[in-house]
Amino acid sequence: MTDRHDRRVEFRGVRHHFTVGGAAVPALDRIDLTIEPGEFVTLAGPSGCGKTTLLRLLAGFMTASEGTVAVGGDAVRGPGEERGVVFQQPTLYPWLSVRRNVELGPKLRGVSAHDRAETASRYLEMVGLADFEKHRPYELSGGMQQRCQIARVLANEPDIVLMDEPFGALDALTRERLQSELLEIWRATGRTILFITHSVDEAVFLGSRVLVMSPRPGRIVLDRPAVFSDGGVRVPADEIRALPEYVALCDEVRGAIHAPTAVA
Amino acid sequence: MTQTVAAPAPEVAPSTPAAGPQDHRRERRRHRLKLLALHASTLLLLLSAWWFVTAMEWVSPLYLPPPGDVWDAFVRANTDHPVAAGSDRIVRGEQGYYLWEHLIASLQRIAIGVGAAIVVGIPLGLVMGTTWLGVVLEPYLNFLRSLPPLAYIGLLIVWFGIGDTSKVWLLFLAAFPPIAMATISGVHGVRQDQVNAVRSLGASRRQVLTAVVLPASTPDILTGIRVATGFAWTTVVAAEIANGIPGIGGLAYLAGNQLQTALVIACIVVIGIAAILLDLGLKSLEKVLVPWRGKA
Repeated sequence: MTDRHDRRVEFRGVRHHFTVGGAAVPALDRIDLTIEPGEFVTLAGPSGCGKTTLLRLLAGFMTASEGTVAVGGDAVRGPGEERGVVFQQPTLYPWLSVRRNVELGPKLRGVSAHDRAETASRYLEMVGLADFEKHRPYELSGGMQQRCQIARVLANEPDIVLMDEPFGALDALTRERLQSELLEIWRATGRTILFITHSVDEAVFLGSRVLVMSPRPGRIVLDRPAVFSDGGVRVPADEIRALPEYVALCDEVRGAIHAPTAVA
Repeated sequence: MTQTVAAPAPEVAPSTPAAGPQDHRRERRRHRLKLLALHASTLLLLLSAWWFVTAMEWVSPLYLPPPGDVWDAFVRANTDHPVAAGSDRIVRGEQGYYLWEHLIASLQRIAIGVGAAIVVGIPLGLVMGTTWLGVVLEPYLNFLRSLPPLAYIGLLIVWFGIGDTSKVWLLFLAAFPPIAMATISGVHGVRQDQVNAVRSLGASRRQVLTAVVLPASTPDILTGIRVATGFAWTTVVAAEIANGIPGIGGLAYLAGNQLQTALVIACIVVIGIAAILLDLGLKSLEKVLVPWRGKA
């Protein structure tokens, strides 16, 4: 068992291709990437560039055609509780109440009823769903379902949280509110986060490190530290977005997305 | 706490509007009354047509007895009565049992047959839906499903005797393929990401099955049980052709052989009503067990 706080993520020479109608279609090309514990890594890129493939390889939903994906030194061999996944569409279970959905992870791991009730309460409170715990997921709005899904993943206390465009299907207002809530959760819990998005602004605003992927086959073409989400400094979102450094990084990211041959 | 109440409030989507519930209920009740009136008048029209045709003596009572005769046969079958007009010998119902006892006997067979089909069909469907066994066994399941029960009741009697065992086996064999098939299609319909999500929460293979695949398949399984129960009703007459007393299917068959047309019709009506009531019961069970159907 590796130490909880030493779960470094490593992609080494990872390539992946899908087989479509007998032909190999490349999806990822030579990914070498290390994510340090506690980083909030955002990965931006045009749709269809292989961002989701990269996340699913790390989640263990599929195996890379070439190369290795390792967490804390151990090769990924399938999904695991130390890697929580927040899907683009909330995958909540309609036969369970909101609270039972959040309790599911601890329950599967055999945590006592008392302890998991406490954990669930804490995270339901954190995402602002404490008053909706008895509802069924389909009785909630899309934004609330997504918050419930985030609470469910966090309540399982994974070291690494993988988020696949979790706010992509939400309206702009809900999206902005969830972004700042997520930042607060990250500051409070110190989890490693890999966050996939096709929005340049979202990537720069949220990430402590911003990656850009080229169109298919995906390669990482830009890797920049970002400081806007970092530290205990609470600057209003509007002011952050007006900073010249912020605008400059956005421009750089946008440039990298539109120029497929850009060099890191 | 109060603060969190206020914050997410505008986001609640499908809650009922404040003025709603009572108006809604009243409207629903009015709708239900209308529907009831429609059914009642249709039934009345049918009965009067039946009565009119027989009263005009357009058909012989042997083929179609008037509604009154059917009612008399129904009452006779539920009471002690003289064996024939003017006789002193009093008999109990028909064939020594009241009609409702015949019905109960058939219901018991259906309950055991369908119950066994549920116990066997759901696990079999789960295994077939999740492993290679599905590919191997599916043709046999389809073969069994396509056989008319009358074709193999003779074989079952040879194997299990003329008593209740062969009848319950027949009902079981009729009821379990639809349940297994429905379970398989339920399992195949589970969204891959729902499985991925629970695996990422640390679920073992077994937990994936019990925590996600089975509950996600319940809507399909319940539909399968309803289909199977309906199928068991249609099979019950075949099951009770030989030595089927007590049993409402057996009584219908016997009465037909003895040209007691009124009693046959009484049996048919009772079977039909019992089947509809049972299906309504299962349907309301569906509402309790899978309230999310069609919503998620």
